[in-house]
Amino acid sequence: MNRVVILGGRGFLGSALARRLKDTLPLGSADVNLLEPASVEKLRGIVRDGDALVFAAALTPDKGKDARTAMKNLAMGEHIAAVVGSVKFLHVIYISSDAVYADDANPVRETSCASPTTLYGLMHLMRERMILVAAQKTPVLILRPCTLYGASDTHNSYGPNRFIRTALKDRQIQLFGQGEEQRNHLHVDDCARLIELCLQQQRAGLLNAATGQAVSFMEVAQLASEIVAGVTVKGQPRSGPVTHRHFDISEVIKAFPAFRFTTLRDGLTNMAKQLR
Amino acid sequence: MTIGFAGMSHLGIVTSAAAAAKGFDVMSYGEPIAISEPGLPELLTSNRIRSVNDPSALQECDLVVVSQDVPTNATNRSDLTGLRQLIAQLPPVKTLVILSQVTPGFTRSLNLPNVYYQVETLIFGRAVERALYPERFIVGCADPSAPLPDSYAKWLQAFACPVLRMRYESAELAKISINMFLISSVATTNTLAELCETIGADWSEIAPALRLDKRIGPHAYLSPGLGIAGGNLERDLITVRTLSEQHGTDAGIVGAWLTNSRYRRDWVLRTLHAAVLAKTARPVIAVWGLAYKQDTASTKNSPALAVLESLQEFPTQTYDPQVKGTVPSALEACAGAAALVVMTPWKEFSSYTAAQIRERMPGRVVIDPFGVLDGRALTADGFSYHRLGGK
Repeated sequence: MNRVVILGGRGFLGSALARRLKDTLPLGSADVNLLEPASVEKLRGIVRDGDALVFAAALTPDKGKDARTAMKNLAMGEHIAAVVGSVKFLHVIYISSDAVYADDANPVRETSCASPTTLYGLMHLMRERMILVAAQKTPVLILRPCTLYGASDTHNSYGPNRFIRTALKDRQIQLFGQGEEQRNHLHVDDCARLIELCLQQQRAGLLNAATGQAVSFMEVAQLASEIVAGVTVKGQPRSGPVTHRHFDISEVIKAFPAFRFTTLRDGLTNMAKQLR
Repeated sequence: MTIGFAGMSHLGIVTSAAAAAKGFDVMSYGEPIAISEPGLPELLTSNRIRSVNDPSALQECDLVVVSQDVPTNATNRSDLTGLRQLIAQLPPVKTLVILSQVTPGFTRSLNLPNVYYQVETLIFGRAVERALYPERFIVGCADPSAPLPDSYAKWLQAFACPVLRMRYESAELAKISINMFLISSVATTNTLAELCETIGADWSEIAPALRLDKRIGPHAYLSPGLGIAGGNLERDLITVRTLSEQHGTDAGIVGAWLTNSRYRRDWVLRTLHAAVLAKTARPVIAVWGLAYKQDTASTKNSPALAVLESLQEFPTQTYDPQVKGTVPSALEACAGAAALVVMTPWKEFSSYTAAQIRERMPGRVVIDPFGVLDGRALTADGFSYHRLGGK
């Protein structure tokens, strides 16, 4: 496998991927500020023809859900698209998000309608297109992961990441409502492993990254409470309706039939061990 | 009275044999393909069937039926080129009947005198029964109010069933309409069967109740399956979608049916992945059945082939009673296997017991979407048993 340049290489997913790969160049915002137009020339000076590129850099919703954040992300996309259009990359993987799908697209599959209801989802959809248009003949894979979890997560997002942290710190897990919503939770190392396999196969097209096993937040909380021990799980009045998200992962299985997902129990246990 | 048949594919062979069985002299033109249908060998012994190499010989027939199956390409679109060429080869005949699977508008576009379109409803594996005992004939005519020519009427009357005359386009769409209703039953069944698998219901208990409902009926397609296969139903879905796009009508439901079909086709792979592939290193998988359904050797759009395509990195052992290139017997396919997958509901498979399978197979996973095997016995024998529509 050729050298893999990872944009967002110091982030949650990017660093997990960098740990798996032998010949890699992980780049974070300290190395190249992708928000700056000057990043185009700087990157052109760093990358070389024949590199594979994984674009995993984005300002996540915890940094802002507003138009300004979306525009910053789009500027980042514009800059990377300019680089993709002028360098002969062997392969490009764009890390998008399942936020591009309509809220009621159940079960979500690669052919589901991409109709985002958030600026974050819309931004990813725009950036997907920017990269595809710029790449021309370079094989491009758009990977749309569900929510990722793992010990090195910095976003403290609702779900496994926050539950384990608050369980360890406060001995308490707070749920919205009774945590009825069902979601897929993908361990960050599983996502990194899928990306590694996609790089090995030079896979192009569109692929969702999810476990196919939707579990409720209540189940996640109870599991986290069991693993950490001595933790209370508390519900609170719900402000919005209950929505679920299920995935049909047939395409992932077809692509990697022997792939084994980390079980939620193993993933949470590992996470708790690392955070203790 | 002599009836000529042009095109000796599945449709032509079976329909011409049925005509001979009803006492008509039959002249067939076209190289016959090799097919297997229950009851067909007995019909083909008739000395009323005469094959000819020159299409001009058909001129002496009282009636000529174009009975060439229309092939579909990889995207399930009809290729009418061969059919048009065949029709162009024919001499002027007294009455011409198009039995081939055409798209609406085809028959009128021929612009020929004395031409009719007749709906075929052949079912692979039951083709002889369907040809000998049709429910009705649907005939497309230039003028539906005009009586049919004597020769044509005489042929149809021999089967003693209703004859419905209508304009060409109605008959052409009637054929597709029948398939659309079948697909809607299949898709509805599969949608509800999946729900059964998750909420503790059992579709095999629900289906008999539906069959007793007069609005649904005893012969409705209520058996859960692995989506739509075989090519013919898919062809009609594509035709409806294409026509709707062309004319601006709403065919959103067709897209939903196609999505559901693909989703259910992948049920076996998803189940196999969860039960075996993600747990065992390089498991040997035994596959019973390659044909897209029982009693046929056709593998067009077969779910079995789709599964095997995804299992290329694993050793597989396949057996099918009619499809060539498999191991000689079902039990031999089980030797050393971690899991058995029954992809076609051949009757033969139901004769195997849990003990016979256990003896050959070290693995304890059986995926039997159609419920061909005795699930209770297998479960009692320690197997992890998976079928559609229930647990």
